[in-house]
Amino acid sequence: MMLRRHPWIVPASFLVLPVLVYITFVILPTLNSLYYSFTDWVGYGADFNFVGTANFEKIFTDRLFSNAIKNTAIWLALAMTAPTLLGLTLALALQGKRKINTLYKSLFYLPICLSPIIIGIIWVWLYSPKLGIVNLFLRSIGLDQLATAWLANPNTALFAVFVAWAWQQTGLNMVIFLAGLTSVPTPLVEAAKVDGANYWQTLIKVIIPMLRPATVVVLALTAISALKSFEIIWVMTMGGPFNKSDTLAVFMYSESFRKFKMGYGSSAAVILFLMTLVIIVLYFRQTAAAEELYD
Amino acid sequence: MTSARAMNWQRLLGAALLYSVLTIMLILFMVPVYGAIVTAFKTQAEVSAGGYWTIPTRFAAENFERVMDPDDGNLGLYLGNSLLLTIPASLFSIALGTLAGYGLGKYNFKGDGVLFILIVAGMFLPPQIALIPVFRLMNDIGLYDTLWAVIIIHTAFGIPICTLVMRNFFQVVPNALREAALIDGANEYSIFFLIMLPLTLPALAVLATLQFTWIWNDFLWPFILTQRAESRTVMVGILNLTGQYTVDWGGQAAASLIGSLPTLFIFVFFQRYFIRGLTLGAVKG
Repeated sequence: MMLRRHPWIVPASFLVLPVLVYITFVILPTLNSLYYSFTDWVGYGADFNFVGTANFEKIFTDRLFSNAIKNTAIWLALAMTAPTLLGLTLALALQGKRKINTLYKSLFYLPICLSPIIIGIIWVWLYSPKLGIVNLFLRSIGLDQLATAWLANPNTALFAVFVAWAWQQTGLNMVIFLAGLTSVPTPLVEAAKVDGANYWQTLIKVIIPMLRPATVVVLALTAISALKSFEIIWVMTMGGPFNKSDTLAVFMYSESFRKFKMGYGSSAAVILFLMTLVIIVLYFRQTAAAEELYD
Repeated sequence: MTSARAMNWQRLLGAALLYSVLTIMLILFMVPVYGAIVTAFKTQAEVSAGGYWTIPTRFAAENFERVMDPDDGNLGLYLGNSLLLTIPASLFSIALGTLAGYGLGKYNFKGDGVLFILIVAGMFLPPQIALIPVFRLMNDIGLYDTLWAVIIIHTAFGIPICTLVMRNFFQVVPNALREAALIDGANEYSIFFLIMLPLTLPALAVLATLQFTWIWNDFLWPFILTQRAESRTVMVGILNLTGQYTVDWGGQAAASLIGSLPTLFIFVFFQRYFIRGLTLGAVKG
């Protein structure tokens, strides 16, 4: 009854403060980035000029930018496949209620609670050319020729950083797939078995299709977090050597806060944002399916 | 009979094979954690004698003492700063998210769906899009290089996930509860504070573990918004220490372990809530 008399005053009183904070510190800065991307602001002082689309014209001929786009594409392609498949495999292997499964699951998702900074620091030692365990292991099994300075070698740096990133992402994907698996009805799986289907047939014909919502969530979240990942790359290589691990997120930071080309950096941020937006829109179109997972 | 027995053997063999593979994977997966722990407890003498990956001959605390020493690593200051930042920012974001979640979950009004989507979409925004304008804004309002700058920004960026979780929570609280209280003459606000809030404890626990972990571990915002040691957070501090301790793996490892203790604590004791949060409200990260 109250609802009818005050169609919006009461909800507005609850919403006004959070919405105001959200607009001031999230929405307005986002729009401001768009504005700065059309200027030549250098990061200090209030003076800058409106330069139209000059930043965007320049960025598309910038070799560092096209290099960053290429690295981002590699990073994204690796991110969507390896940790997704590994997370799915672990979830399928550990979904039962055995005590040992609980322990194994916990240990596999332990990296989720660590900061990318810490993960980066630890993996730098693992990759250390002389004393790192990766090379010690390769040498101990006689594969000396494979041992390399993983993070300083232009051919391996991006992939080496990616492995450290995937170490954390795999556990996260496993958690989401495990949640998805609880919504696969047991009678359906039993029925397939009664009909004489073996495990692989059940997996491909029954379980995987039922995991569609979870897969959508995993792929969307992985893509978004892959696009914005900056910290672990910064800690391990700072985008080097020779910009070989320089992704768009690192490029945006370097241009803005190392070279103080804030207007130019903003245009990189806008491009990163638009790439994310594509994924968000695709993801929201699937939310009806994804919603099932949350229930 | 015999075929049933053969089936059992087959099953057992399959399980043994599965767990062997899983155990090997797990051992490989745990190598980084193992490395950090053994290195942190080793003396520099033992490390430089070549024992990087061996188990320490005796557990030494010297690395921890060195990184905590105010004249050396000074990690105590950064830990304090991180607490002063993480606790209020978690509380503020959860409080604002609870208000918004209640407004959206328990009332219908024109445009509520659009507003909800606009807020939740913020969860997926890459921080990069706001980096430069927030850097400028904090400079303009004089909060640059203070913990407040980081508190405010984490509060604001935490609103989407907190609103999503709380709105989903309030939606399943029976309306009868509210209507009965209205008939008894309670007003909308006493219903919220006295009836609804006490019910939300499990959801608040989920958000508290999630927000604490995420804000504690964040590096990018304090890296952009602070400068002096006095306002340095633990993750920025640890990264600085790796510059100071270039070949001192023991110091780096000890700092890394100390910096991870609060979130490891949550992982061990509140794992149920944390995992629920990860799957419930999509994910940050």
